[in-house]
Amino acid sequence: MGIKEAVHPERVLLVRSVSKREALLEMIQCFEKRGEVKDIESLKEKIFYREKLMSTGIGLGIAVPHVRMEGIKEPLVVIGVSGHGIEDYGAIDNQIVRIVVMIVAGKEQHQKYIKLLAGVVTHLKRPGMIEKLVNAADTQEVYQAFMGADHVSG
Amino acid sequence: MFPADLFPDLSMPHLSILFLLGLALFGGTLGGKLFARMRIPQVVAYIVFGIILGKTGLNVVTEETLLMLQPFNYFALGLIGFMIGGELKTQTLARYGRQFLAILMAEGLITFFVVTGLVALVGALFIEQRGLVWALALLLGAIASATAPAATTDVLWEYKARGPLTTTILGIVALDDALSLMLFAVAASLASVLTGSGSGGILHLFTHPLVEIGGALATGALSGLILSLIIKKQSQEEKILALSLGAVLLVLGIAITLNIDVLMAAMALGVMIANITPRKSREIFSLVEKFTPPVYVLFFVLFGAKLNFGNVTTFLAGMVLVYLTGRTLGKMAGAALGARFSGAPAAVKKYLPFCLFSQAGVAIGLSILAGQRFPGEIGNIIVVIITTSTFFVQILGPPMVKMAIIRAGEAGKNFTEEDLIRRTRAKDIMDTQIPLIEENMPLRKVLAIVSEHPNLYYPVVDPNRKLIGIITIDNIKNTFITTGLHEFLLAHDLMESVAFTAEPDSLMVDVKAMMQDRQVDYCPVVSRNGRLEGFLESRSIQRLISRRIESIHSGEDRT
Repeated sequence: MGIKEAVHPERVLLVRSVSKREALLEMIQCFEKRGEVKDIESLKEKIFYREKLMSTGIGLGIAVPHVRMEGIKEPLVVIGVSGHGIEDYGAIDNQIVRIVVMIVAGKEQHQKYIKLLAGVVTHLKRPGMIEKLVNAADTQEVYQAFMGADHVSG
Repeated sequence: MFPADLFPDLSMPHLSILFLLGLALFGGTLGGKLFARMRIPQVVAYIVFGIILGKTGLNVVTEETLLMLQPFNYFALGLIGFMIGGELKTQTLARYGRQFLAILMAEGLITFFVVTGLVALVGALFIEQRGLVWALALLLGAIASATAPAATTDVLWEYKARGPLTTTILGIVALDDALSLMLFAVAASLASVLTGSGSGGILHLFTHPLVEIGGALATGALSGLILSLIIKKQSQEEKILALSLGAVLLVLGIAITLNIDVLMAAMALGVMIANITPRKSREIFSLVEKFTPPVYVLFFVLFGAKLNFGNVTTFLAGMVLVYLTGRTLGKMAGAALGARFSGAPAAVKKYLPFCLFSQAGVAIGLSILAGQRFPGEIGNIIVVIITTSTFFVQILGPPMVKMAIIRAGEAGKNFTEEDLIRRTRAKDIMDTQIPLIEENMPLRKVLAIVSEHPNLYYPVVDPNRKLIGIITIDNIKNTFITTGLHEFLLAHDLMESVAFTAEPDSLMVDVKAMMQDRQVDYCPVVSRNGRLEGFLESRSIQRLISRRIESIHSGEDRT
């Protein structure tokens, strides 16, 4: 299970909200729409609980909110890009966050979960990736930029 | 009371024996449970049930049946001897040997003299012939010195006694046989001179018991040597049990054939096994011990059935009273003096006088021997007195032993590994010094903690020490590829949910079963309000239990 399998063109969005909370809810809705997560309330609760423990804004404008929960068969990823940036994300470097990659894995998928998390972060930190994503005009471009064939490793 | 002829079928030999055995086992055991609830040693219930079935009661047990089951009684005695022998390690003998001997001589000889004196004094009032009175007195005195191991040890085992008093009781009842045989030999030889009915000569009367005891020790010891050589190579429990029981039976058979002391022979067998193969012997004795309960129950029920109070006259009742008074005083004074002069521990000095009242097989055997050797009045008087007094001491003796070991604080201290595992609770062995990890601890810190501890599992708790998850070494392994994330990954991201928890009072047997069922190698111990109290890892459970057994045992040995 690599990053490629976890990403889907329909789980890519341009985030409209400017607040952290709204932005995250917007991304969670993405799962709701596609029916991939049954218990949306639990997902919200878990996402916000994790943010409360410590912000997932890891610097360089990147955030990777992540949770494990029941009822998820294979890890899923939502990619959200914010043109104006989210100011109140509370990232470690106090920068605004422009790229949010939300990771949801099954309750017992400890290994896949950590691997995917590490993989996503490494992937985002590749030279030029952040610019490509931020400058993408629509979700299609975001998707392509993220999936850029020779960049994404299994 | 039912007349026996209402149930004529019950005396049909084939049916009745099996039926009787079943009845004895069932009724005896249920009665024992009932008595145990009333805090009376179970052995009393077995005997009472036997009395109900036997000659004094319903009379459904015929003389032939009892005779036919005689070998079975030897088997029970043999097992008792074997188990006592198992307790007599060379260290015990070296440590307590002199003390045993002093107490034994004191309680045996003083009882002999007191009973002989009292019986002679009172007997002289009723029996004119001086010679007869003294013969009777000497024989009863000798028989009175015997202490029965069966009922006594049954109480010690029922209440799992362990300690100096218990060791002394075991030592005394084990060696007691030899002394009373010697005393009886002396008494019988004097009695035959006094009554003019002697046969076989005085020399024979002295040498015979020596041969009997020496032969028994030699037979048992030799068999023990052979058995331990054979059993060393066995690892299957069933084989070990079968071979051990076989050896006990063989030794019994040889002892009966050679007319040597059965109990001593079986005891010597036990002593050899316990001392030649100390490691293996633990297994052997614990296997045989599991086998013994039904045998003991039957033994005591049959014993009760044999008691007959049909022909007790007023004179005899009076003599029983005299005999019992003399024997009780003699045993108490003798045990007290012996314990004092041998410098025995306080518990022994104080409580041993209450532990030596039991009288059974040897006494009855000697009384029958006296009956055969001195046909007529003396013989009959002795048989009736011993039978009747045996009933009383067997009913009253065990509760006294129970009281003594409880007061001496020795009850419930004899743990086998199994008992201890059965009784161990999570709180007894749980690790309370476990490194705690908080949910919002970054991976860097988690790794630092893990690297400093040998544990394979790390509980994750909230600030109130409430358990919320667990981090395993496997979870840690997953983070090896995340070098860039050590500040961002939290314990929360790594932890798994906890499969199950135990409470501090949960029994370890249940905890272990649960761990096995779920194939989980750890178990957090959590109090009712969710607070983490300790932690168990399956790889260390066995070691901790063993260490606990050792510490309990060594703690006692110091007393």
